[in-house]
This record gives sequence, C-alpha cells and structure tokens, in this order.
Amino acid sequence: MDVMSHSSTFLLPGNDHSSSVTYALVVLNQRLPRFTPILWNHAQVRVCADGGANRLFDEMPLLFPRDDAIDVRHRYKPDIIKGDMDSIRTEVLDFYTNLGTKVVDESHDQDTTDLRKCVAYVRDLAPNLDKSNLCILVAGALGGRFDHEAGNINVLYRFSTIRIILLSDDCLIYLLPRTHHHEIHIQSSVEGPHCGLIPIGMTSVSTTTTGLQWDLTNTEMRFGDMVSTSNLVQGEKITVQSSSDLLWTISIKM
Amino acid sequence: MPLLFPRDDAIDVRHRYKPDIIKGDMDSIRTEVLDFYTNLGTKVVDESHDQDTTDLRKCVAYVRDLAPNLDKSNLCILVAGALGGRFDHEAGNINVLYRFSTIRIILLSDDCLIYLLPRTHHHEIHIQSSVEGPHCGLIPIGMTSVSTTTTGLQWDLTNTEMRFGDMVSTSNLVQGEKITVQSSSDLLWTISIKM
Repeated sequence: MDVMSHSSTFLLPGNDHSSSVTYALVVLNQRLPRFTPILWNHAQVRVCADGGANRLFDEMPLLFPRDDAIDVRHRYKPDIIKGDMDSIRTEVLDFYTNLGTKVVDESHDQDTTDLRKCVAYVRDLAPNLDKSNLCILVAGALGGRFDHEAGNINVLYRFSTIRIILLSDDCLIYLLPRTHHHEIHIQSSVEGPHCGLIPIGMTSVSTTTTGLQWDLTNTEMRFGDMVSTSNLVQGEKITVQSSSDLLWTISIKM
Repeated sequence: MPLLFPRDDAIDVRHRYKPDIIKGDMDSIRTEVLDFYTNLGTKVVDESHDQDTTDLRKCVAYVRDLAPNLDKSNLCILVAGALGGRFDHEAGNINVLYRFSTIRIILLSDDCLIYLLPRTHHHEIHIQSSVEGPHCGLIPIGMTSVSTTTTGLQWDLTNTEMRFGDMVSTSNLVQGEKITVQSSSDLLWTISIKM
C-alpha cells in the first residue's frame, strides 16, 4: 500500500511557489479565518463561492486595520467568482468584475452545492494550473448551518482522490482515504495538539495509528460506539491506516 | 448571560441564571466562577478521574440516571453550544446522540439544531415556522441509509439511498407545517434557526 504524506505547510507564512504542491483557495460564505491572508499567499488560484465574495470584500480589510480598505480589496482580488449567485451583493459583484475577476454564473445548476461547483472548476477548468500535485484549501467550510457543513464534508468524500482541506478559525479537516497508509507531519507552531479521527458515513472495522496520545490498534470505530475525539498528537509524525475512509481533524493554534 | 441582558445588573443576571449542577473534568472552569456558583448553592460534581468520556456524555448520563425529582417519562435534553468550534468536539457531541439513541437530545447553536431520528420509528416533525426553517437536511452520519422516504420537503426522498460519497440531503427546504421521515438507518435531522 502506498504512503500518502500530509503536512499543513499552507498555514506557515511565506509563499514558497517552488513547493511541489499547487494550492488553490476557495472562499465560502462564513466568517473568514484570521489566517486567510496566509492561505491566499500560498494559492495560485483563488475562487470565491458566491457569498464568499461578500466575506472577502467585507472582512479582508478587517484583517488589515491599518491599511486602506480599498487597497486591501485590490490586493485580495479573486480570480473567479462561481456559484448560483443568490448571495453575492450587487456592489461586490460589480467591484470585482471591474477589477477583472471572472464570473461564472451557475444558477441553472441547483443540484450541486457551491463548493462542489468550485472544486469541479479547479479540477477541470482552471487554466495554466499544474494539477499533478493539487491541494484545494477551503476557507469558511465549518460552523454555521450544519447541513452546509455536512454538504462540505460530503465534497471530501465525493472527490476522494483530490486533496481538499476544510478550514475554520478553530480547526482543519481532511479525508484519509482507505487506499493509503498515511503519514501526517505535524506543524506544531500552527496546529495541534487536539485531534481526532472520525468515521463519517460508515463503520471503520479496523484502524491503527502511531503518534497519538491514545493510539488505535486494529480498533473498530463507529458512531454509536467509539469515535476518536479529544485525542492529542505527541511528537511530529502521526501514522494512520484504516479499512475505511476517515476524517482527520486537528486544532489550529494561530 | 449578562451580555444578553445589557440593561440589567450583571450580578443580578448571574443570580437569576444559576445552574443546579456543574459537572465534568473541571479542567476549564475558572476558580472565581466555581466559587461564585458554589456560594449560591450549585452542586459541583467533579469527574476529573474519568478521562474516557466527554463532558457532554457525563452530563447526559447524570440527567438520565441521577437527576432527582425529575419526571423522566418524557425527557428531552437541550444542549447549548454543541456545534461549531473544534470539529472533534462537535463529532463527539454528535456521537452522544447515537450512544443515547433512546433519549431525546437536541444539539443547538445560534444557527441551527440537530437531533437523531432513530430508524425504529416513523417520524413526524412539526415545524415552528416563527423560529425555525426553512433550511434543513437529513444526514446519514454513521452509516449508509439504504432507503429513506419523506413528505413535506422541497426535495422529498422516495426510498432514496443516502450515503457520504454520494447523495446526502443538504440545503433542503421545509414546505408547510409537517415533515414526515422514515428511514432504514438512524438519521440526523437538522434545521436552521431564525431567531
């Protein structure tokens, strides 16, 4: 079984575009995490999902209180605004359109969520993007309405062969597919120690880990019985192997 | 609580909203808060010896087993502050719904509520449209739901399979005053709160 490596280098300051990972950022319609500028700097394409454009417009200046708001909005201009367009305010749409942001109106498609549309766009259509090692960062993916959160988590399962990281101010989540043995390299300056492994959608008959305070050894996990929450990372490397897809979650300390 | 009553004296508010019990592993409560409520007669149950169960699980077990003078024949446990924040906490709170599937437990946040619809029953959900809705969903968190049938939703399900990786009912809408749900698996019902 192949090893899949994970590292939250996207939370570290800097914009090392020589990194082998190509980051894309999708901004959803929840309060912007306070570290959104760091994610932005790592990303080579930046997409707002409908009302996410309102969040960028309203809240990015709040993260730079000493700067002129219009300057901040110019600096943090999305490449694309995509979705069903039922949340974005007219003045926000006009502002970014005038700056050259491409708008892709998908209001005809009511069967898929805004995040799903944006992930499909990045996967298929984003021009000039090296997608051989793609990682999609999703800001504002958690909290708020639970059905939205569940729909966002479902996008991780639907696109299980693409690295997608859901981010909020408090934590991040990504899928650990059962097809791989996972090595998670902990960036302890920005994440941890609180973590968990969550068997969403089906029972996990057997999971084995190393590097956690409460490691699992061929342990069964399912809702209604044991689920690994309030666990703690110990040290710099976690390994996970499971008979089912699992969600990995870790707290963010920025 | 005083912030929710900005015109009242903070100490008065804290006296009016005094808990009966404080329970858990006590690693978060501030000393002055513990002292304040202890002095008012709140019972404190220190469970710091038990690191295997979450604070919510301890509290649900307490209400179910030990709460004196409580008619538990039709018990419903409301949990404030159950969602958002760390996802592992949220998942642990949702797991409490599945562990205690025979007790009505409602998880609440500012934006929405969640509760379990056990597969053992046909469910009728009466919508209080002044305070909740219209956004809703049915989520098969723990396992595939082979067959779910609903009435009263914008996008009703008819013997529809739901599972993560495929179809999950999110961004649905309630239509009217009554929803019915029957499923081959336990489902989470969620609806937005409009207060």
